[in-house]
Amino acid sequence: MAKENQILEEITGGEYKYGFSTDIETETAAIGLSEDTIRFISNKKQEPSWMLEARLKAYRYWLTLEEPKHWPHLSYPTINYQDIIYYAAPKKQQQLSSLNEVDPELLRTFEKLGISLEEQKRLSGVQSTIAIDAVIDSVSVKTTFKETLAEKGIIFCSFSEAVQEHPELVKQYMGSMVPYTDNFFAALNAAVFSDGSFCYIPKGVRCPMELSTYFRINTSGTGQFERTLIIADEGSYVSYLEGCTAPMRDENQLHAAVVEIVAQKNAEVKYSTVQNWYPGDKNGKGGIYNFVTKRGICAGDNSKISWTQVETGSAITWKYPSVILKGNNSVGEFYSVAVTNNKQQADTGTKMTHLGKNTRSTIVSKGISAGFSNNSYRGLVRIAKGASNARNHSQCDSLLMSDTCGAHTFPYIEIKDKSAIVEHEATTSKIGEDQLFYCRQRGIDAEKAVALIVNGYCKEVLNQLPMEFAVEAQKLLAVSLEGSVG
Amino acid sequence: MTNIAEKISPGDKLIAELELNQDSLTGSDVIRSTRRNALKSFSKQGLPARKSEEYKYSPVNRLFQKELSFVTASPVSDEKENSFALAGLDASVIRILNGVVHIPVSGFDSATCAAWSLKSLPKEELSFFENHFAHYALPDTDPFIALNTAAFQDVLIIKIADGAALAKPILIQNITDSTHASFTQPRIFIHVGKNASVEIIEQFASTKKEYATVCNAVSEIVVESGAKALFYKLQNDCAGLQLISTTQVYQHHDSHFDTHTVTFSGSWTRNNLNIVPDGEHCETHLNGLFILNEEQHTDNHTLVDHRKPNCESNQLYRGILKNKSTGVFNGKIYVRPDAQKTNAYQSSKNMLLSDDASMYTKPQLEIYADDVKCSHGSSTGQIDEEALFYLRARGISADSARILLMQAFAKDVVNTIRIEPLRKEIELLIEKRLAN
Amino acid sequence: MLSIKNLKAGIEDKEILKGFNLEVKAGEVHAIMGPNGSGKSTLASVLAGREDYAVTDGSVQFLKKDLLEMSPEDRAREGLFLAFQYPVEIPGVSNINFLKTALAEIRQYKGLPPMEAKDFLKRVKEKQALVELQVSLANRSVNEGFSGGEKKRNEIFQMAMLEPVLAILDETDSGLDIDALRIVANGVNKLRAPERAFIVITHYQRLLEYIVPDFVHVMYNGRIVKSGTKELALELEEKGYDWIKKELGETIEA
Repeated sequence: MAKENQILEEITGGEYKYGFSTDIETETAAIGLSEDTIRFISNKKQEPSWMLEARLKAYRYWLTLEEPKHWPHLSYPTINYQDIIYYAAPKKQQQLSSLNEVDPELLRTFEKLGISLEEQKRLSGVQSTIAIDAVIDSVSVKTTFKETLAEKGIIFCSFSEAVQEHPELVKQYMGSMVPYTDNFFAALNAAVFSDGSFCYIPKGVRCPMELSTYFRINTSGTGQFERTLIIADEGSYVSYLEGCTAPMRDENQLHAAVVEIVAQKNAEVKYSTVQNWYPGDKNGKGGIYNFVTKRGICAGDNSKISWTQVETGSAITWKYPSVILKGNNSVGEFYSVAVTNNKQQADTGTKMTHLGKNTRSTIVSKGISAGFSNNSYRGLVRIAKGASNARNHSQCDSLLMSDTCGAHTFPYIEIKDKSAIVEHEATTSKIGEDQLFYCRQRGIDAEKAVALIVNGYCKEVLNQLPMEFAVEAQKLLAVSLEGSVG
Repeated sequence: MTNIAEKISPGDKLIAELELNQDSLTGSDVIRSTRRNALKSFSKQGLPARKSEEYKYSPVNRLFQKELSFVTASPVSDEKENSFALAGLDASVIRILNGVVHIPVSGFDSATCAAWSLKSLPKEELSFFENHFAHYALPDTDPFIALNTAAFQDVLIIKIADGAALAKPILIQNITDSTHASFTQPRIFIHVGKNASVEIIEQFASTKKEYATVCNAVSEIVVESGAKALFYKLQNDCAGLQLISTTQVYQHHDSHFDTHTVTFSGSWTRNNLNIVPDGEHCETHLNGLFILNEEQHTDNHTLVDHRKPNCESNQLYRGILKNKSTGVFNGKIYVRPDAQKTNAYQSSKNMLLSDDASMYTKPQLEIYADDVKCSHGSSTGQIDEEALFYLRARGISADSARILLMQAFAKDVVNTIRIEPLRKEIELLIEKRLAN
Repeated sequence: MLSIKNLKAGIEDKEILKGFNLEVKAGEVHAIMGPNGSGKSTLASVLAGREDYAVTDGSVQFLKKDLLEMSPEDRAREGLFLAFQYPVEIPGVSNINFLKTALAEIRQYKGLPPMEAKDFLKRVKEKQALVELQVSLANRSVNEGFSGGEKKRNEIFQMAMLEPVLAILDETDSGLDIDALRIVANGVNKLRAPERAFIVITHYQRLLEYIVPDFVHVMYNGRIVKSGTKELALELEEKGYDWIKKELGETIEA
């Protein structure tokens, strides 16, 4: 309550708060993409040859693909893939064992972003502590609480480290949910990914703290291609958070990530994202192109994967966190808030593929469009033959804040089993004038009233977020909608 | 069998045949030029590819596996035609046989309503017709519209005078009768004058089910301001028929268009229903019902393109799927920036009665105006077990109870049918179809 | 405190207020009665600043400031409170968060720091008791799932929380049973103070048995046609609005 109030107090300036860039010495790959670029990245990371082979295979496949421009409700100039730097890393980067070894400039950067890389335990105890893997441009600079987690057998490290230290797990799972053949951006990522987070929760372990990755793009002209792999072994539980920001630049920077999750029997993974990449300016200049493939598989019986996302940033968002419900009685959830303002475009949603028996999925999507933006929900619910007693409920609501924006809903529902019950509901409306007036009569100005009403509208989704993130998300919602009331 | 013809795609084959035939097809200079442009448009588009978003759930390649010919056989005898009559319905009947229009001498009151085939169209009506023809169903928007516009043999032209209120419904029997795998292109143009009101039934039927006949029908309907048109499409008695039926409607301000698409038979059916309410205060109702069995495939594609403020549209679709049948509902509500205060609603509910049946639903909203109320709801499920039990507990057999509940499910749509004999006929057909 | 002079206002092209005059001083309770369609609720909406209504003539001074120049929120911050006839539901926004925000904004406007959480909660409890509003305000959204009576009590509760200078009660009695009516009236009476004024808009006399007004005005056809003391309300109850209409008709004819 006090926090909510604080949030509203803080909403004053309307600008993107994370738009600064840090002056750090950076080592980059030569601009452009070729097999040499991939060899350069692989070499930088001293990868085993199987990894390099996997990259090259993906690259060769990628060359045969076309960018998927026909079906998303997005329009943007053709991306010149030879005009991107595929690897950039802060120079001092070495094997770091203590915080003191991290470039102080980097520490300050994360501090400024509100991310503490110091392992201080809070008064409320370990439970509310967050372990962070901080990724800047192409590399992970620091992973906190590794030792504490290791005591429980939890592996939480950078992806590069996992390739070195846990090759058997990486080999077994990498690409099993999102193969390089999946789509254009997944293939590109498989070829050039530079780092990311890796997480393994052993059998029966409940991860004692939130795990989190913070992505920061810093260097101009680079793309960020990270990969996250989360393996929840039988009966385990983990809540994973992801946050991202980037400097304000006139150029469009590409972010093409892959996230893979596997939940074994009785395991549960909760994955939350607050996406706040630089959205570009009022006129649509600059901003991140965010093309992300996220997929989880409920491999074992009674497993559960839940995606929650709050998407406020990026010039373009193309993202469909999905769940394959393979295990019997498995559960998939997707909770999403997507806000677009000015010239932003979002085409986002989910795919729920029901294969096992008695599987359940829930989709709640809240789209809010303002300014000149376009906001689309695109989702697929597929009930395979033999997936008996599958249940799905989808609710997709769109809120329009201006008469120059667009709100769209494109659900695909495919049912091949007669015992399925699938329900889909969608609504589109504008913000209630009478609600606004009511708030204003009580002394709340229009801008704050909008923030209040929109937060209420998104409550169902925001409630899914861990506390710290919920606060962040509410702030973001208010900030991204500033200037949207006429 | 390695001759060159084998390697030509079905689409290219159609183009080649049409190019040869162009000179022999009827029409004024304007119409012939429209034809040629449509052929160009089809050549550019080709048949929908496997990846086509619009034909995603209804791939058309199976329709063109057999070699199809535009040349059609001579029409059936009158006796045969009458077997498609609807009991108790007093209507003015027009027949289209294999795409050729047969206007009866009697049955039309020329003061309020006129009907012509392209050949019988009076000279003084030609420019009126040319001003409308192919202005609504645009060849560039769909390859089958392009094909029909390039290849039609005849056009049924119906003109309802301003202010006319027709006492009797008009029944258009669109009959396919062929002794080989043919490809027919029926074409209809209906103009409902200002403040007129009319009820039209279009009935699709075929005589022989053993031939893989494909019918590609296109209708253009213009509803002038203040007019009211009720349009019923009944697809029955067309076993074996593969049908692509496009209905393109253009509404002027304060008009009312109410349509039903009822699909019972036909081995493969694709209904494209595109409605453009292009004036303020239009009201549009789209209702649909399909009951499928065996390996039937039915795809209902709707588009309501709201362009002006203060309009209302309502879509209500119900489907029951048995055996190995496949159903598709793809409905789109499009609201353009000017169309403030649009009220648009869409509901699609389906019942799957067999493990081998499939239902694909894609209800879409594309909204560019802010002061609107748009929503859709879609559900797919089975018979409510609670209700079933309740009926059985009252002594009704499980089978009868099921049929009762399915009838109740279909009722939402059936109850909105305004022509009494037609509704009765459809109720009977539902009972028959559900029973077996 | 409030001075309304020759106020003319309407919606679209229809004039509803046709030269309305009213003076309200601190500590006074004014009742405005009148038949349906006489413009009572329009008056409340215009004073609160609802933008659907256009003011075409006249002036409204509130605490020596031009009320009509102010945004709805500034009117509220200056101390004008409207208890809505139909309080809107705001899904997802908890009552507590809503009130806290409103209170903080009003205090900020007056240059006061936000209230301490402890004091705030104390005040909530206290004022909730005032209107016997037992619903849990923290978990429930503004007016969502409230019964008609709860909504009206919530309005009075909010009034108690925000401590306005001038409160306008727009048909607060409509849809209330006798017990709820007493509770609401009781709440209002406890808030009566020398520095605070009330405008009670009502169709029936019965509310005025509980909230005893200093003045009663009868509104008809967009203006006040008769003013008096509380006895006027009783007379109205007895003779009905037709009496006024007749009397008016006579004056017009004369």
